[in-house]
Amino acid sequence: MALGLRLSALACAGLMAAAAGLGAARADEERGDGEKAKPAAKLPPVSFAHEVRPILSENCFACHGFDAEQRKGGLRLDTREGAFETLKSGETAVVPGDLDESALIFRIELDDDPEMMMPPKESGKSLTPAEIDLLKRWVAEGAHWGDHWSFEPPVKVDPPEIKDPERALNPIDSFILARLDAEGLEPAERAKPARLLRRVYLDLIGLPPTPADVDAFLASVEAGGYDAAYEKTVDRLLASPRYGEHMARFWLDAARYGDTHGLHLDNFREMWAYRDWVVRAFNANKPFDQFIIEQLAGDLLPNPTLDQLIATGFNRCHVSTSEGGSIEEEVYVRNVVDQVDTNGTVFLGLTIACSRCHDHKFDPITQKEYYQLFAFFNNIDGPALDGNASRWAPFIQTPTDEQKAALEASDKQLAELRARLADETAKLAASYDPKLDENQSEEPQRGDFVWIDDAFPEGAAVQGDGAFVAGPDHPVQSGGVALRIEAAGLKQKVIENPAAKLKIGADDVLFAHVYLDPANPPKEIMLQWRVGGQWSHRAFWGENLIDWGKDGTHERTRFGDQPARGEWVRLEIPAKAVGLEPGTEIDGWAFTQFDGVAYWDKAGLLTQTPQRGQTYDGLSAWVRAKLADDGAGLAEPIKAILKKPQAERSDDDRKALLEAFLPDWTEGRKALEPIRAELAKAEAERKTLDGSISTTLIFRERKGDPKPAYVLNRGEYDQRGDEVGRALPAFLPPPTDDAPLDRLAFARWLIAPEQPLTARVAVNRFWQQVFGIGLVKTSEDFGAQGEPPSHPELLDWLAVQFQEDGWDVKRFMKRLVMSSTYRQSSKIDPASLAKDPENRLLARGPRFRLDAETLRDQAFYVGGMLVEEVGGPSVKPPQPAGLWEAVAYTDSNTAKFTADTGVDKVHRRSLYTFWKRTSPPPQMTTLDAPSRESCQVRRERTNTPLQALLLLNEPQYIEASRDLAERVFREAGSSPEERLTLMFRLATSRAPDAADLEELRAALRDFTDHYAERPDAARELINIGEVKPDPKLDPSELAAWTMIGNVILNLDEVLTKG
Amino acid sequence: MDPIREHIDVETRRHFFGRAGVLGLGGLALTDLLSRTARAAEPAPRPDWPAGIGGLPGLPHFAPTARRAIYLHMNGGPSQHDLLDYKPKMDALFDKDLPESIRQGQRLTTMTSGQARFPIAPTRYKFKQHGQSGMWFSELLPNMAKLADDIALIKTTWTEAINHDPAVTYICTGNQLPGRPSLGAWLSYGLGAMNENLPAFVVMTPKFSTKASPQALYNRLWGAGFLPSKYQGVALRSQGDPVLFLSNPQGVDKAVRRRSLDAINRLNAKQFDSFADPETQARIAQYEMAFRMQMSVPELADISNEPKHVLDLYGPEVHTPGSFARCALLARRLAERDVRFVQLFHRGWDQHGNVAGDLPGQCNDVDRASYALVTDLKQRGMLDDTLVIWGGEFGRTIYCQGALSRENYGRDHHPKCFPVWLAGGGIKAGITYGETDEFGYNVVENPVHIHDVNATILHCMGIDHYRLTYKFQGLDVRLTGVLDQAPVKGILA
Repeated sequence: MALGLRLSALACAGLMAAAAGLGAARADEERGDGEKAKPAAKLPPVSFAHEVRPILSENCFACHGFDAEQRKGGLRLDTREGAFETLKSGETAVVPGDLDESALIFRIELDDDPEMMMPPKESGKSLTPAEIDLLKRWVAEGAHWGDHWSFEPPVKVDPPEIKDPERALNPIDSFILARLDAEGLEPAERAKPARLLRRVYLDLIGLPPTPADVDAFLASVEAGGYDAAYEKTVDRLLASPRYGEHMARFWLDAARYGDTHGLHLDNFREMWAYRDWVVRAFNANKPFDQFIIEQLAGDLLPNPTLDQLIATGFNRCHVSTSEGGSIEEEVYVRNVVDQVDTNGTVFLGLTIACSRCHDHKFDPITQKEYYQLFAFFNNIDGPALDGNASRWAPFIQTPTDEQKAALEASDKQLAELRARLADETAKLAASYDPKLDENQSEEPQRGDFVWIDDAFPEGAAVQGDGAFVAGPDHPVQSGGVALRIEAAGLKQKVIENPAAKLKIGADDVLFAHVYLDPANPPKEIMLQWRVGGQWSHRAFWGENLIDWGKDGTHERTRFGDQPARGEWVRLEIPAKAVGLEPGTEIDGWAFTQFDGVAYWDKAGLLTQTPQRGQTYDGLSAWVRAKLADDGAGLAEPIKAILKKPQAERSDDDRKALLEAFLPDWTEGRKALEPIRAELAKAEAERKTLDGSISTTLIFRERKGDPKPAYVLNRGEYDQRGDEVGRALPAFLPPPTDDAPLDRLAFARWLIAPEQPLTARVAVNRFWQQVFGIGLVKTSEDFGAQGEPPSHPELLDWLAVQFQEDGWDVKRFMKRLVMSSTYRQSSKIDPASLAKDPENRLLARGPRFRLDAETLRDQAFYVGGMLVEEVGGPSVKPPQPAGLWEAVAYTDSNTAKFTADTGVDKVHRRSLYTFWKRTSPPPQMTTLDAPSRESCQVRRERTNTPLQALLLLNEPQYIEASRDLAERVFREAGSSPEERLTLMFRLATSRAPDAADLEELRAALRDFTDHYAERPDAARELINIGEVKPDPKLDPSELAAWTMIGNVILNLDEVLTKG
Repeated sequence: MDPIREHIDVETRRHFFGRAGVLGLGGLALTDLLSRTARAAEPAPRPDWPAGIGGLPGLPHFAPTARRAIYLHMNGGPSQHDLLDYKPKMDALFDKDLPESIRQGQRLTTMTSGQARFPIAPTRYKFKQHGQSGMWFSELLPNMAKLADDIALIKTTWTEAINHDPAVTYICTGNQLPGRPSLGAWLSYGLGAMNENLPAFVVMTPKFSTKASPQALYNRLWGAGFLPSKYQGVALRSQGDPVLFLSNPQGVDKAVRRRSLDAINRLNAKQFDSFADPETQARIAQYEMAFRMQMSVPELADISNEPKHVLDLYGPEVHTPGSFARCALLARRLAERDVRFVQLFHRGWDQHGNVAGDLPGQCNDVDRASYALVTDLKQRGMLDDTLVIWGGEFGRTIYCQGALSRENYGRDHHPKCFPVWLAGGGIKAGITYGETDEFGYNVVENPVHIHDVNATILHCMGIDHYRLTYKFQGLDVRLTGVLDQAPVKGILA
């Protein structure tokens, strides 16, 4: 609970006490003092687990605990043996029943000897008199020892006897009331039906009841009694799809779900299918044990369904990076560490993270055990770096029904085309005449591969000067046309990025034909070649006028004087001479000249290397070409056949070779081309289809042996110690079957009946959700440093009952809200406030500010503008401009925020708001929503002026105020009273009393007068929002009512669940 | 006269306070309540200093030397070789390989770990000594050089992280992984606010010159981590509302807002009568503070009353909203109003290549304004109790990344040493602390871990860094981590 809240509670309690004339007594007196004042005889025996161990843990374990390296003086206080044994020094820390002989007691009371006193001053710890008193009593009573409470299996004890059994509606109440009896506190009266209704609506579906809901409920209370009416309502709420949306919200904080990667570029990550899975799971009331299994190990279940795979996204929600310069292994370790730590917090309620670098100081988890847990997650089938891609392997497609049909159609079409291609190929093979190859050598031979003749290579971008011209007016060397360039100064034709690059082989020679106009020859001609996007290979003839590149290097090499004029000359340039090494691929060619007129024709490469797109007249020609390039691009078996001497090839060899050749056969190309084109088109369409289908990240195990895991010294990725296998922490019960230790076994171990933590941790979070604070306040830490439960027996009873009910979450939630504890009025009585400011004892009903999402959803809902559609991609309601830009990496695909438009996007429940983790929506974080960068199982709840500004001024809240006004114009009578009453009821679920009405009426009068004189201001106000106001309404009147809506939506009563 | 204004004049007193029985406390107690966020103030550490509101009991731990701090964070890793760590011997070693004895197999980012060689790139900029102290500055920082006798320059700050995201998260929150509170959040949690009308921790993200893609920032750098979110830094923006949702909606003027707050607060007071929830009273107080912020923040952001000589001191860019100069001036105005901690995040210092093309512009952004800020504070007598910090998240390599010439070169990330300077309350003026080897690669004297820098900042603010803790996941978590860290005694006055 927020510190601010507690402190302000104290301040106020103090003020009230002062006002009541009670003197300066402060409300924050420690309970211990109170206990001390009681007569000793009445004290119950000290509980080791709940009272003593926490003191030892907090003050002593850092030096006398589990971590052997840090242990001082050989004393260990976290085990019975350690505490009771006599040390080398002769001292014994704890001698049961003997205060004088117990060094522990001696040392903590030595306040006149700072050298000897424990805990030492430099630790910053000190014991209160009450704590010292407690330790003494514990020793005096015989120093009963036990394990840490949460590591012992929960025991379901009978609910205790209470003073007034009538008051208990279910066993929860017996535990709560017994404690209240003991503390001398009275439970509060029952909440009024309408208030309770609002509370339970907000707790189960995250939205308030409508006035009609309230009326129906009150009528049904009238008819069948409060209890029956209430139970019926609870059942109805649990069956509502809104229930799953509300419950999912809490789980998604724990799962650290977000819509971006979270680190560095923080690019978009498509993962919403996992979010929707969580909603569905709660709505379907998936048993919580199954819920755990599917998220941890859905992929390891036999024949996992799509849903079970989506569920494994839980362990992929962690933040990730692809920052340039990242060291793969370092990032990999960080990813796995996040998975281990999150699982530790969410399921075991343990701060496992501490033992990453050293043995845990407080809980019995060794560093080795940490890495044994690490080993369970250490085998993901995907890279450590996310590649800044939404689809970071492993991922899975989550097609809609329509897309599923399209996929099936595409599969069918592709299969048909491939079959046709195979048929045609077989026909061609049969038609090929082997005689063509008789007496043909297979020795590689060099030949001209023409790249440019009458046309530029396919797909190339061509720019610059010159045009194809035809004979007989112009000289043509080959084909029908030649390229004519006329220049004054520098001119050129540039050809770039063809579909097929020109591949250079050893000793290949580039060639081009040129014809210089005898009347007007260029002063210089140049050929240029581009490689990897760079123009840095040039040959020139004539004068040295074009000064690109470094002269005398392959960037600019002179190959001689101008060729003869008035005739076709073949220019030949050994590739090597312009720095083009074998294997290089040319992706651009330029014809360049200085002054004059030149014709260019037939250019290419004298080569024996097969070129992409090249066809051959016969098998032998093909074999020659392929051999020259060492069979590059061919399948290994074909390569092997190719390299056999012709005579040694078997019939099968020849057949295989022929089939490989057919697509490159000039005749074959012609026949197959149409089918290939169709296939290419179908494949491209399939790619587009695949790209349009949503995906989600999943967990999947790598094939083969699991990746080895090591103890990492100080947690550093590059300081490997001993190799470790998978194992579960020794202080918890071992797995009961001998199934292989994988994530599935880990998940099953978590939900085993002997496992003391999982159920306790889960029920505590549900409790926290409803009552504001868990029975264990530190819901993230059930270890020695966590706070012990306020009601240990109740926690255990709930945990065991939950398991006995088959981990039935709805049943559990129902049990909570059916209790009389839950159904109490949340009215605060000064005595119980002073005694129990945080309401841990529950002498009153829960009361606290609603969460960010609920506040926004409620405002939309009350205004009648909430668009309720379950699931789908995340949406971007408007937010102030520039928030993303202020922080984002420019190249990020979430660098710029563009709001969605349309009510079906911007008026959705907040659960669906897009969550950029390095700049989360301010409407959420201002109200304590986490950034979702790391696992969070408990939100703080603060009260700040920035929240007031948000709720008063944020445009969507203003739009909700106006919609609320319009709604009452539509739905209420025409008198201000009727309208004010409905507005108030919509927001608070109760009818306003006379004073409420008077206050609102006075404000309405002032607003009305104000806007009557300022119609322009009125129009400005009511035009805020996605939807424009009803034009039939008078703007000034609507503006005044909008401000009333704004007032009502900002009332404490509306912002609070009470 | 505006009917609402009239109404407020009468109604505010009559109803809001006078309506007998509101909260059952009477006007005085309520006034008191409204003026405080949470709890009674700690006594001020010095009589002339305002008391902290809402801080922890027992803090400050000892008499502070600074009551507020301004942190100028240069995001991306400014090149110490070209700015503040002069290595004259490098010139003769142009394009020579960095000796393995210096690099010692230290891990490199994968941006340069594949380089065949690590050729030395001497700075192309001239260095000169300045002031009585003789502190070295490069010609890129002509104005900052005038602070030679005002600042303490640590040349030997180091960190473990070698990539931006973890490194900047580390220096700002004490941990490389997200989830921890930032320095400013710790300060406001520990010490509370000194001004009731402004947030205790304000952040600005000024514009920058580089045309290359600058590194990202993250809200977590000024976030509250596991501390309550009210301690997170509030971004003061140059676009739109200076503070999010500060302005009334269009068509709502101050009078309407006041009138609506009166209605809200009165109905809330009635709610308190029924439920007696102290949180309701706190809510009334927060709504009132929001109203006061609606006036105090625009006043703060409006520099029209600044005298010409002050504006001139910051340079012409001060007239451009969102410039570093404007933000620096606003930082002074915030400090003047006793905002506890102000942090500027200036991006674009990640020169993997094109140092010559990129770095001068970055320096130009901040050089004059950094000088102006310290000078302005000094002229007002505020430097005595204000701490100013300047630095990035790591340094850059002496060896070249990419193409090397005398005129231009690039530098990779270098975590083993980088400069940070501090000035003001409690800091020795005019000293250079720590020494690096002649390659500017390793620390040879007085290493200062980034945790030590943070411990120093806390120390100046009167906090024993070891004792400022928050219980999280069973641990007493602190900003400065678990290892032995200490304030840098050598730079403390």
